[in-house]
Amino acid sequence: MARSAAILRALGTAFRRDWKTVGSIGVNAFFPVTVLLLGRAGGFLYLILGLVMLFPASTDPMRKIPASRLGLWPLDRRDRVVLRLVSPWLNPVTWALAGMAIWAVKGRVTVGLWAAAAGLFAAAFLISDWTSAGKTSFWPRVPGFPGPVGQLIRKNLREILSTLDFYVAALLTLTGLAYRVTRLSLPPDAFRDLGLLVLLALCTYTQSLFGLDGVGGLARYRLLPLRGWQILMAKDLAFLAVAGVLLLPLEPISGLAGAMVALAIGHSASVAAHREQTRWRFSGGASLSYSFFQVAAMAGAWGAVGLTSRWFLIPCSFTWVVSTIWYGREWDQRRDLVL
Amino acid sequence: MAARRTCTIEEMISCRDVTRRFGNFTAVDKLNLEVAPGAICAFLGPNGAGKSTTVKMLTGLLQPTSGTVTVCGLDVSSHALELKRQIGVLPEDLGLFDDLTVEEHLLLTGSVYGVGKQETRARTKQLLHALSLEHGRHTFAAACSHGMRKKTAFAMALLPNPRVLFLDEPFEAIDPVTSKIMRDLLEEAARHGITVFLTSHILSMVEQIATQLVMIRKGHIIWNSPVGELPQTLEQHYFDLVEAPVVEELEWLGPQRS
Repeated sequence: MARSAAILRALGTAFRRDWKTVGSIGVNAFFPVTVLLLGRAGGFLYLILGLVMLFPASTDPMRKIPASRLGLWPLDRRDRVVLRLVSPWLNPVTWALAGMAIWAVKGRVTVGLWAAAAGLFAAAFLISDWTSAGKTSFWPRVPGFPGPVGQLIRKNLREILSTLDFYVAALLTLTGLAYRVTRLSLPPDAFRDLGLLVLLALCTYTQSLFGLDGVGGLARYRLLPLRGWQILMAKDLAFLAVAGVLLLPLEPISGLAGAMVALAIGHSASVAAHREQTRWRFSGGASLSYSFFQVAAMAGAWGAVGLTSRWFLIPCSFTWVVSTIWYGREWDQRRDLVL
Repeated sequence: MAARRTCTIEEMISCRDVTRRFGNFTAVDKLNLEVAPGAICAFLGPNGAGKSTTVKMLTGLLQPTSGTVTVCGLDVSSHALELKRQIGVLPEDLGLFDDLTVEEHLLLTGSVYGVGKQETRARTKQLLHALSLEHGRHTFAAACSHGMRKKTAFAMALLPNPRVLFLDEPFEAIDPVTSKIMRDLLEEAARHGITVFLTSHILSMVEQIATQLVMIRKGHIIWNSPVGELPQTLEQHYFDLVEAPVVEELEWLGPQRS
């Protein structure tokens, strides 16, 4: 017991020092939106609750202890159980989510709901342990692409597929697809709104495009004889491919416009500072205000193309191309930035 | 196939009064250095002496605070892209992407450096075989052992057939057989006119391979000569010039446990 208490104390200190973990959740554009939806989710309550419960998995304090170190410490079974049960509560997000869950279901608290919440909560931590155990990519079969940056596009696709953002977006797409297939009646705007939610789940990644490359990867980018715009283009094409596939059953044209605007805005934050990201967590953006600005611009482009004219796709594409070239040059000039 | 420039350059690597500061700390101070074509220059010094900072400046990863660095006759600051096409680098952190396999790293290198597709495949096959990486060609870098990662980064440095090779601690964490293979490959590269600039702590290996020795301590060069001009064994000379080992006695270490 003394051993686990000592580890928990050290873990608490380390976690308090690294507020970036909690901060990254705070500035993931999807997070505040999900919280807002909690109060008025109606029939989607359980789905939303599940999505929200994934957040503690993405900030599990136990991940601060390297697996090899944990295995070497002389801890008995009871020590490990105590660590597993208590460590989540070092994370303020867990407390915040517990509070929000109570607020969201006020007056409707049932035993079933609490059981569902507890089950989802446990599942989230199981997922957290499971995904942090293996380093190997889940997507070895991602196809190669032609051209000088083809292998980089393949790598970037695998990176996107190792963020929780993608899986939340995929869940939403599958929900929409299920409605399309079963032809259940939905309000006419439902697919458009669902498509926007998919893009919302994905867009924060564009603010930290280099977050999963690691120090080694960033050094390699600097060594490769490639211009900044080529490196950004490889990132963008991977993102557009993922967004395109997920938005295809919902609202592909507006989705493309929104995705390009999200990238155009995300370039600035990605190039200005390196925000290291962790696999199997949600992407963290630059700041809450930056995320809101990005979401507003993205939704504007989405609305312009979806509600008015598809010709708006042209200025959206132009903005994306200009941003890629402009911030590519900035990347070339900031040679020392990442080292 | 990547075109190879054939202009004649007297010094492949040249540093003039190169200084690099990080805040108030001076990592490298007024460094002057020349390395001739085809030389194998070993850059030695204790941890934190400024070796990796120097390699980063020579490869364009870090800008010097002052002074000029020229590699292959190109100013590193103003011809960064052109320089990258001429050099192969094994960086300190190996520079690998977790989401690419060993083989994919080599294919990426070939396509980015403009080596033809067929030629890239042929060189990849040869390098995987030479460095005993064939069994792990489909392993993701994140799942490779440190030795495999280092061999992959070494193969990436060789594949585009560079004019200068920069290797930061190439022999560390490598098994003896691979170490010997890497040594032979480097000697062959040097015979073909490729300049090699490497850092290492394995003095016995350096003594066998290097043609020029440079020692650095606290950011200053304290020795620079051809290997034949060493007055004593490299190890003894290193201890005399750079730092002598001090053995601390740990009385508590032993059978009586506490």
